[in-house]
Amino acid sequence: MNTALRVVRWLIIALAVLVSLFPFYWVLRTSLAPADQVFFNGISLFPDRIDLGNFARAWTQGGLGQAVLVGALVTGRILVLQLITCIPAAYVLAKVRLRWTGVVLALVLGCVLVPSQVTLVPTFIGINAAGLADTMAGLIVPFLTSAFGIFLLRQQMTAIPEALLEATRVDGLGHVRTLTRVVVPMAAPGIAAFSVFSVFTHWNEYLWPLLVARTPSLRTPPLALAVFQQADAGFDYSALAAGAVIVTAPVVLLFLFAQRQFVQGMSGAEVPG
Amino acid sequence: MTATAQQAVNRDDAATHAASPSFLDRHPGFVPALLIAPAAVGIVLFVVVPTILSAVGSLFSIPLAGGAWRFVGFANFQRILTDPMVLQAMGNTIVYSLMTIVPSLVIGLGLALLADRAGRAKPLVRTALFLPMTANLVAMAVVFRWMFAYQGGFVNELLGWFGIGAVNWLGDPHTSLLTVALVGVWRTSSLTMMIFFAGLATVPVSIDEATRAEGIRGLTKLVKVTLPIMRPTVVFACVIAVLTSVQVFDTINVMTQGGPLGSSETLLTMVWKLGFSYYDLGAASALSLLLLLALLGLGILQRRVLAGGNR
Repeated sequence: MNTALRVVRWLIIALAVLVSLFPFYWVLRTSLAPADQVFFNGISLFPDRIDLGNFARAWTQGGLGQAVLVGALVTGRILVLQLITCIPAAYVLAKVRLRWTGVVLALVLGCVLVPSQVTLVPTFIGINAAGLADTMAGLIVPFLTSAFGIFLLRQQMTAIPEALLEATRVDGLGHVRTLTRVVVPMAAPGIAAFSVFSVFTHWNEYLWPLLVARTPSLRTPPLALAVFQQADAGFDYSALAAGAVIVTAPVVLLFLFAQRQFVQGMSGAEVPG
Repeated sequence: MTATAQQAVNRDDAATHAASPSFLDRHPGFVPALLIAPAAVGIVLFVVVPTILSAVGSLFSIPLAGGAWRFVGFANFQRILTDPMVLQAMGNTIVYSLMTIVPSLVIGLGLALLADRAGRAKPLVRTALFLPMTANLVAMAVVFRWMFAYQGGFVNELLGWFGIGAVNWLGDPHTSLLTVALVGVWRTSSLTMMIFFAGLATVPVSIDEATRAEGIRGLTKLVKVTLPIMRPTVVFACVIAVLTSVQVFDTINVMTQGGPLGSSETLLTMVWKLGFSYYDLGAASALSLLLLLALLGLGILQRRVLAGGNR
């Protein structure tokens, strides 16, 4: 009875792992296969030889090379801006008690709940009017701060013992030095988790670049891939698969190397072990 | 610079240094306000103002190229609520959500419970099961499109081995929404599993021991003990599942573009179509506002239902 249950449990786990991983395996396999071995009929689960030319075609013809550069620049700049804006704001909302901090905190929490598509149309009109449509700045500026980031970092900073901050105040350190010398080091795990979340979100962002980036040289990786699929690639599935691998790999690697921060950033909770 | 001038400068420096602490003492909120200002500007400019404009804009006719907005009252709402395409998109969103939310929650919870007891294989199983959540949706949509291809697609080949005829998954209006929903479940289950997994870790070991001593096991334990203890986790997982399902865009945009015949059009792809294919920004604002109201309504409903057990 117990053994039977255990077998069933492991069968379910094995099936779930298979279903989870199969699409990743499939895209990797297709990206390495010669173009004539793409479809399933008449071919095995493994290609009989490996063709790296698919990646070259995706990189140049598919525009993924340029897109990866744009993606890295956009994602990196958004991350820096969000850290600069969110960390001080989170500190003030967590550790400074003034008449207005309660109201501002409520406002930030409210903004976490507003879905991005509600702001989509007016933000686009505004970015257009400011002459930022089809520019790198237009891809970055709307994300210069993150209500979710402020919320997440504030949670982390609230946990810093008040006594520690009292000590720095006795030493005569102002807010800025308290922030840089005590709060930032103490909140480092939360900052790391938010950074991973931010990179993940903005590397994968599709809807906003689809709206703003008209010039091919401004396409972000997901957008370049979508365009490649819709028009340029035709039936070059292996190059398209190589493109999909190029777009996916950085985030998957980020996840594999920073799983703990990733989970904390996505679920707002820590996972032990 | 002469000596006297240098002295004067020094005196000025001293004066400002003496004055600045007293200024800050008189205004203790000055530095905090400066610290919060950049974030506040960003939030006001890109969340608060657009949300208000979206609400106001839904009452106007808005030219895309810029220029004066024309007040049209509730005409935008009237237009979208009588447009069969928009109504179809609303219906599709509800069907899609029904097909994804509950399965994702159940599968996510089930896998989290199973993986939690996987012993030494736990980290490996966890990593494998979290992976769908990390995938780029556009890339995965591209892959799933081939896997569900009518001719030569992996899924149809697999069905063929079992003697089942090929299904035109994405090309048939009857199955297109279901197919996109399958991808939704594949991904959202991974996300809810991650959330449940984190929640399970917060359940104290003593609870396990106590329930074992009492002989409470299996489903009874889950429903009466484990789920109530991790209620915040359950609420969070529900909220995330609802939000990701109602706001589906990337997969549909890549896999079907809302077709065939609007059979996989959802609210967000419709907002997009109204706003940026038909250039009817007022109608797009009205529809996104309805979506926000629906989400707010759902939020209240969800809170009531989940609170119901305890109050």
